[in-house]
Amino acid sequence: MQPPAPPKITAVEVEAAQPTEADSVAIARLSAETSRSLPQIPYTVKVRIKPKPPVTSMAWALYVDDVLIPKYWEYEDGIYFTVLDPQFFSDHKGKPLRFSQNGVDFFDTGMKLPAPTAPTAPSKSKGKAARPSKGRARR
Amino acid sequence: MAILNNPALAGAAQFDTIIYGASPLAYPAPLIQYAIYNTPDPAYVTGRINVSAFANLGGGAAWPFLNTNVPLNGHVCIPRGRGPFPLAMFAHGNHNPLENSTPGYLYLCQLLASHGIIAATIDVNFLNGFNFGENDGRAIVHLEHLKQFRTWNNTATHPLHGKVDLNRILIVGHSRGGEGVGHASFFNRLASVGGVTLDGSGPFLLGPYRFGLTAVAAIAPTDRQFTPVSGPTVVPDHYYIIHGSKDSDVFDFQGYHTYERAHVVDLANPTVSDGKFKAMLWVHKANHNQFNSIWASETPVGVAMPRASQEEVAKVHLGALAQAVLLDRAEYLEVLRDHGAAVAWDPAGTEFVSQYQDPERVFVQHNQEGLGAPIVSLPVQGTVAADGVVAARQLTALVAGVTTTITLRLAWSALGARLLLRVDPSTLPAERYKTLTLRVGQSTEANNAANRDQDFTLEVSSGSHTAAIPASCLHRLLYPDPPPFGPAKIMMQTLRLPIERLVDCGVDPTDLRSIALVFDRRSTGTLYVGDLQCSN
Repeated sequence: MQPPAPPKITAVEVEAAQPTEADSVAIARLSAETSRSLPQIPYTVKVRIKPKPPVTSMAWALYVDDVLIPKYWEYEDGIYFTVLDPQFFSDHKGKPLRFSQNGVDFFDTGMKLPAPTAPTAPSKSKGKAARPSKGRARR
Repeated sequence: MAILNNPALAGAAQFDTIIYGASPLAYPAPLIQYAIYNTPDPAYVTGRINVSAFANLGGGAAWPFLNTNVPLNGHVCIPRGRGPFPLAMFAHGNHNPLENSTPGYLYLCQLLASHGIIAATIDVNFLNGFNFGENDGRAIVHLEHLKQFRTWNNTATHPLHGKVDLNRILIVGHSRGGEGVGHASFFNRLASVGGVTLDGSGPFLLGPYRFGLTAVAAIAPTDRQFTPVSGPTVVPDHYYIIHGSKDSDVFDFQGYHTYERAHVVDLANPTVSDGKFKAMLWVHKANHNQFNSIWASETPVGVAMPRASQEEVAKVHLGALAQAVLLDRAEYLEVLRDHGAAVAWDPAGTEFVSQYQDPERVFVQHNQEGLGAPIVSLPVQGTVAADGVVAARQLTALVAGVTTTITLRLAWSALGARLLLRVDPSTLPAERYKTLTLRVGQSTEANNAANRDQDFTLEVSSGSHTAAIPASCLHRLLYPDPPPFGPAKIMMQTLRLPIERLVDCGVDPTDLRSIALVFDRRSTGTLYVGDLQCSN
């Protein structure tokens, strides 16, 4: 038997989204924690993966450089996570996306985190997702 | 000791199996198997809950609801009679959401119900998919199901009114659900998680919990896919873990880290215990999926033990746990203390490695003081001398991942080597305990002969009298079972030497002066050793 291979990322996109109620609560809390007024605009980072690996309990944790993305979710073309603090992009734009199963061994996907486009027309949010913030992953 | 009956055999209690579920949902064709929850028993119609603060719905399935209103669906086996009955609740892990994982533990629910335990298995399929980090959500779903049973128990007109013993609850989770029960145990005592209140107030209306959780059991769990702000979850309740050597999903036995974090020695107060036990069962040839009767085996034919055998192992050992913690049959703890107590019930030829840490113990050498030379641990006082054996404290990765527990590595290359601990008998009240205990495991390093049990002699002295007991008289020290892939795990076996046996050999437990590991039974070897203690 062979150990599972890391997913292959084919593209990464960032979209502004409309906040869900859970997003709004989280943004409010994050604003209070950071003493900054964060915009009510969550960003969805879509990571296209092909082929999608089988559903297992073991997981490929996704990192932007050395920052763990605490939660991500599946959609038709891959996975996505939500960023609530735009500072995250300022801090990590252009940094490599990496996968790891154990926090020790890392696989570079060859892809980097792009910057978001201007949030002119938010798409419908997919709901609560990961909330990386400035310089660190957070709950 | 009382004669134990095989806990895998059905008991005498009659029970009914019913489905509970939320109001009807329009499941699309690929999810039609979930339509069974549209017609629950009329008395067992549930509500929906909002998990959006913790999780999105898993992908790969068009669920007819949002994460703001997921249903509380499940199957429950309810003993007939007045009760109150203890409650056991199972949760599955991550799997293809197009296959309903929930009924996969009915074989265990039926067993427990036949012994007078209300046993449920819950639907968490809507969190399944190629996701990551949602195991806090699984924990919340588990706790909300418990809350539903508390509501029924407290509703005068409900068939379960007064029948649920809310102070005897066992939560069991498999795979990511196994990680989830650890978080549930932790969340159960909290007023909020990540800023989300758990007091029943808005906007998410979750909680309150604070159940009388008796024990937490994890079957082949993941670890740290979710990490609370406060750090990796430390399970505060009695903790039990079972994992198979041929697991090809959670192939690195990461749940061992959960086990290691639970009920550790408090270095500031090493004699103080949190009053909880933990136990581990490592099952050679068991794989991941066969603990769930629905999931197809993930290993090729012939790699793992037959499914029926693996289910029998689960019934024996989880049955024993339930008997002990839910039905007050403490004699079944013997199966946790020593898997050999179940040898007549387990499938013939099955090999196990087990660990048990009793809440009543005093450590002689736990090794957690640091990576320096090995010492005798306070408050016991004494010295350590290595003769012909290289003794080094190491953060050895006994399983893959980041290790936080220091283990003592002992390597020798000639017969007669020994590690000698001389202790001040006035600091070690061995007579107050039932056993002298340590955990020991061998690796695949070249000086251990492949596929051969390792062995040594445990020499305990009170001065003029010495008892010399081969480790193999207490338990086999198995050579690591080859994993499906990746490095072999080093699984330490708990060896429990009864103090009574020492007394029979003339050793005075009130005057215990030395404990030695004498390597006189194999000419070479490497062993990993931990948690030498007097214990119950």
